[in-house]
Amino acid sequence: MLSIQHISKTFGPVKALNDVSFDVPDGQILGLIGQNGAGKSTTFHSILNFITYDGQIQWQGHTLAATDFDQIGYLPEERSLMPKLTIEQQIVYLARLKGQSAKVIRPQIDDWLQRFAVKGTRKSKIKDLSKGNQQKVQLICTLIHQPKLIILDEPFSGLDPVNADLLKQAILTAKQAGAAIIFSSHDMENVTAVCDRLVMLRKGNVVLHGTLDEVREQFGKTELFVTTDWSTDQLTALPGVASVTHRHGQRYVLHLSAATAGPAIFDALTQGHYIEEFSQQPPTLDEIFRLKVGEEHV
Amino acid sequence: MSKTWVVTFETYLRQVKSWSFLFMILGPFLMIALTAGISYISANSNRSSSQVAVISDTRTLRRSYLQQHPDNINTKVTTVAAAKKAVKANHLAGYLTLSSEGPRLRGDYHGSKPMSNGLQAQVKNFLTQYQQVQNYQTAKLSPKQQRALAQTPVLKQHVATKAGTSNLAKLISFWVLVTMIYIILITYSSITAQEIASEKGTKIMEIIFSSTTATSYFVGKITGILLMIVTQIVIYLLGGWAGYAIAMNYAGIHRLVVAHQALVSGVFHNLFNLNLLYLLFGVVIYTILAAYSGALVAKAEDASKAAQPVVMLGMLGFFATFPFQNNMDALAVKILSYVPFFSSYFMPMRIINGTVGWGEQWGSLVILIVATALFAVYIGRQYQRLMLQTDSQSLWQHLFKKFKH
Repeated sequence: MLSIQHISKTFGPVKALNDVSFDVPDGQILGLIGQNGAGKSTTFHSILNFITYDGQIQWQGHTLAATDFDQIGYLPEERSLMPKLTIEQQIVYLARLKGQSAKVIRPQIDDWLQRFAVKGTRKSKIKDLSKGNQQKVQLICTLIHQPKLIILDEPFSGLDPVNADLLKQAILTAKQAGAAIIFSSHDMENVTAVCDRLVMLRKGNVVLHGTLDEVREQFGKTELFVTTDWSTDQLTALPGVASVTHRHGQRYVLHLSAATAGPAIFDALTQGHYIEEFSQQPPTLDEIFRLKVGEEHV
Repeated sequence: MSKTWVVTFETYLRQVKSWSFLFMILGPFLMIALTAGISYISANSNRSSSQVAVISDTRTLRRSYLQQHPDNINTKVTTVAAAKKAVKANHLAGYLTLSSEGPRLRGDYHGSKPMSNGLQAQVKNFLTQYQQVQNYQTAKLSPKQQRALAQTPVLKQHVATKAGTSNLAKLISFWVLVTMIYIILITYSSITAQEIASEKGTKIMEIIFSSTTATSYFVGKITGILLMIVTQIVIYLLGGWAGYAIAMNYAGIHRLVVAHQALVSGVFHNLFNLNLLYLLFGVVIYTILAAYSGALVAKAEDASKAAQPVVMLGMLGFFATFPFQNNMDALAVKILSYVPFFSSYFMPMRIINGTVGWGEQWGSLVILIVATALFAVYIGRQYQRLMLQTDSQSLWQHLFKKFKH
């Protein structure tokens, strides 16, 4: 388990992290979300000992040291490989730095290239690959040594939906193998799809922490999905409706000022008749993200 | 295999397999071949136009000249008309007519340029000797009288050849060694600084530093570059040995080497001793400084500037030796022979001069090795911070800041 306890980091006058604490148990995935500059990469750099910090970070009950490097798989935010090397040379070199033998890694390469649908052979030069394929090779470099702690900084950035699904599958496979996984993302859909827990940072502070359901429940069921022939103005005029978002056709989302307004709205819309859709839910992660970011600007 | 060796071999193989390394190795050989080729072509193209023809109505006079001085003579041209035509066509440098005016010999040279001093002395000498023989015959002198008149004064130089050879060997050794150190330092300082600087701020460094320690990576990188240097030196030694072996098959060169055996042995002795260790550790400490310099640049794009401070220091050491090449035992030489970065130039000077004891030689070497080790540890500790930092200070600002502290 990765345990982050009360870490703080200051760059000059800027407080990049302020008393951040959370755990990532083995076999679980934690999503770290937040705006640019919220402190996500600084958190990763602290875990990896790239920077000094106040507080304590422990891996399997001890301070992370050079001897633990072989158990880590790290994908940085910006992609960077050695352009003159072939795919095989690049993967083998980085795997050997993770304490793996070339004899063990080489036979696995074709399988990994196939799994990530990399367009190129093991002898293709990195510089000749497209940006997306380079990214996939870098992901292979991160995962091929079967790390126990996986740190992915914006792994979905730049991937199309098909490749994003391949990555999600790879992350879930690593989770099943018992790895503790922490990744950052701006794409809430991907976070929702794979994360067991999430932490939201804002200006270096943890503003949300828990499982997806726990986080959403904190906000109450304030989203009402309805299908009706009422107009936007009519819906906005209903008591307890803060705003209305028109989805398409006769489908709307009513944003409630309080979850308790639901039954009265149900009565008003149905008036004893059948209604195709009426679903009261907590806000989506995307909406929560916008809400929290919005608080910052208030 | 340790991660340091993984980094070492990756650095070494990537550099050694590059075109730039191949050209760097072949550079001197290509330069020698090019110079020899140009000289050969130039010599061949000038040969015909540098020749002269010798023409004479007196067959014995011409034959006698050709027997004594067969070099650089075009024997095919035998008439003035043919010679004039050849000169005009630039196939001859000129022609010499030898004639007799009664008892007096006469030589006339016709050409587009004056005779060379050598040719002039050669012709004068021939005419004088030939005239003298004719004079003896005309005067009807007895052999005894002829011998008495043939007496010439003697001038002989008495030089202590051993001391002269030794001094020349010292001078050649000094230049070979100092130039070798300078070229290797300048070449590899640039390579190292650019190699390190090009990685600065790249995310691959984050991946690497999540796999191994910065010190381990730094040591691996430097060791890889040192293996390159050793490879280059070994190739040159083998190339030099093979070239020497081939050259010795040529009688002319063999005679030359045998004639100057003492000089050749002296130079080899001065090069293959403790001086090689000074060369090696000098390169190591400059390479580490170059790596530090490369790590200090603000961004990878500044890689070309990274080597400047190291190159300047190397040049300073190199040019500082010049005033002392004939005064290798000066006080400044003694002091600088103990100062790391300079000792690699100055202690070999003193060793070549034979004016320094074993204790001093090893003492200076120990200072150099200890300084190199301390320097490597200091930079290794800072390497991760330097390579991953995202500040906007330039190399000079960093150095100034370090100097201030």
